[in-house]
Amino acid sequence: MKGLNQLNKGLLRSYLSLVLLGLCYLLLIVPFTGYMHSKPFIEKLGHLPRVEVFQFVAADQKQLVSASLVMKVMMYFGGLMEQNQVKYKLPPDYPAMSRIIHGSVKLDPYNMDAYYLAQAFLVWDIGAYKIANDLLAYGMKYRTWDWYLPFFAGFNSAYFLKDYESAAKYYQMAADLSGQPMFSTLAGRYMHKSGQTVLALSYLSAMEKSEKNKAIKKSYSIRLQALQAVRTIEVARDSYLEATGRQPASVEELARSGHLVKIPADPYGGKFFFEVEGRVSTTSEFTFGKPGK
Amino acid sequence: MFNIMSITLKGIFRDRVFHGILVVAFILPLIPVISTLSMRQVTELSITLSLSLISFILLLLAVFLGGTALWKDIERRYTYSVLSLPITRSSYLLGRFFGNALFMLITATLLGCVAAVVVWLVASGSPPDRQVVWMNFFLAVFFDAMKYILLVAVAVLFSTVSSSFFLPIFGTISAFLVGSSSQQVYDYVNSQPAQTLSLLTRKTASSLYYVLPNFSAFDLKVNAIYGLPLSLKGLFLTVVYGLVYGGIVLALSSVIFAKKEMK
Repeated sequence: MKGLNQLNKGLLRSYLSLVLLGLCYLLLIVPFTGYMHSKPFIEKLGHLPRVEVFQFVAADQKQLVSASLVMKVMMYFGGLMEQNQVKYKLPPDYPAMSRIIHGSVKLDPYNMDAYYLAQAFLVWDIGAYKIANDLLAYGMKYRTWDWYLPFFAGFNSAYFLKDYESAAKYYQMAADLSGQPMFSTLAGRYMHKSGQTVLALSYLSAMEKSEKNKAIKKSYSIRLQALQAVRTIEVARDSYLEATGRQPASVEELARSGHLVKIPADPYGGKFFFEVEGRVSTTSEFTFGKPGK
Repeated sequence: MFNIMSITLKGIFRDRVFHGILVVAFILPLIPVISTLSMRQVTELSITLSLSLISFILLLLAVFLGGTALWKDIERRYTYSVLSLPITRSSYLLGRFFGNALFMLITATLLGCVAAVVVWLVASGSPPDRQVVWMNFFLAVFFDAMKYILLVAVAVLFSTVSSSFFLPIFGTISAFLVGSSSQQVYDYVNSQPAQTLSLLTRKTASSLYYVLPNFSAFDLKVNAIYGLPLSLKGLFLTVVYGLVYGGIVLALSSVIFAKKEMK
């Protein structure tokens, strides 16, 4: 009887401590989750070992490690899209993102997600066109069947690098691989300066439509909004030029003269202005987290 | 030998380690959900995850079952009673090995079939740019099983060298890591940038390459995931390599085991 009592007491004590600890866990989990959630992205992206280390440790799981590295960057990028970007304190760690992506294609040079994600942020957010095209060229050596890579590289060459010779070469590759003759005429069609925005708009709306990933889709749609705003200002600028025979001094002047109904907002939080040669630009440089905005 | 083999097989199915490892296989049905995280290659990601999981499970089985099979027998003093029976030490050793090998093949076949259903489901939901090459998929699973059977042979060799628990387990894990990257090291020491290394380093690395098992040859994941063509000659050479290397390891184990003193 005494032994039974002791056993019951022991059991009761165990239950009690379980309940107490459970309560402690509940109390702790809210601030803990809050802390983890608010942790700066740079810490979350973390510092990764060199790719050679990965190559050894990954053993026969290189494709898995490569995919998880891309996911890491993807989550980070998705997090950036969710944040209120204009109030964003730390600038996004693009060099780290680029480093991780480059490491992941060393592990699995066939990983399309890596090239796709790199194209999304390398060219549009940091203007690393050359790095992006080198990465795409590396991918083309492996993904010999994929028309997306030369399509991306062709666009980068034409739109950003103004290297029409390479653009034509890449578009031809994309045309040969996809069997879509559209690409072969793309390079030549929009190369006039006034056509640049139209080229970007058609590229971005195609990309945005086909995108399933929410974060990437959002990044494209913001970019698209910005370029649509640029296009609106360009159209107003051209009609102003036609009417007055001179370039407008500022975007505000377009609004005052009635050529622009309303000055469109820059979704990146910047202000539109004319560059010396009349090109429409913005103080945000079409990216979030630019200092001195 | 066949008796020992069937006893081994039955023993494994009753082993708690096996049950524990089998729980990992319950991740397989979750793969379609995880695969949707991919932006451009959902099906490819599902193949990556399936093959990785199978490979991981087989690795655990090879290390923990292969590495402990002999050790447990010696530790529990089963070996005395078994070896007093009219069987040679080598048939006992080989029986243990083939029981494990057969078990690995059965597990790989079962997991491969479940994974194929999972990948097929994903592929019908979001069709990939390139068709899944099923032949490559099943070959990848089969070659993975062969690789881990070879690893079991290595584990058996370690078990005959040492009666402790640590050498078979950690030795096998190290052999797996080194064997998976020996090709990379060999390619590097024979490349242009490595010519600055001392001759001794290069020669040592090359000799180790010939001595250590080359597991990377059995890794056909990339061919299965992206539907890349396989070389028939390469596959044939790999199978023969596996048989010959495994044979050497087992012969060596038999010699050591026969000479081993059992207290």
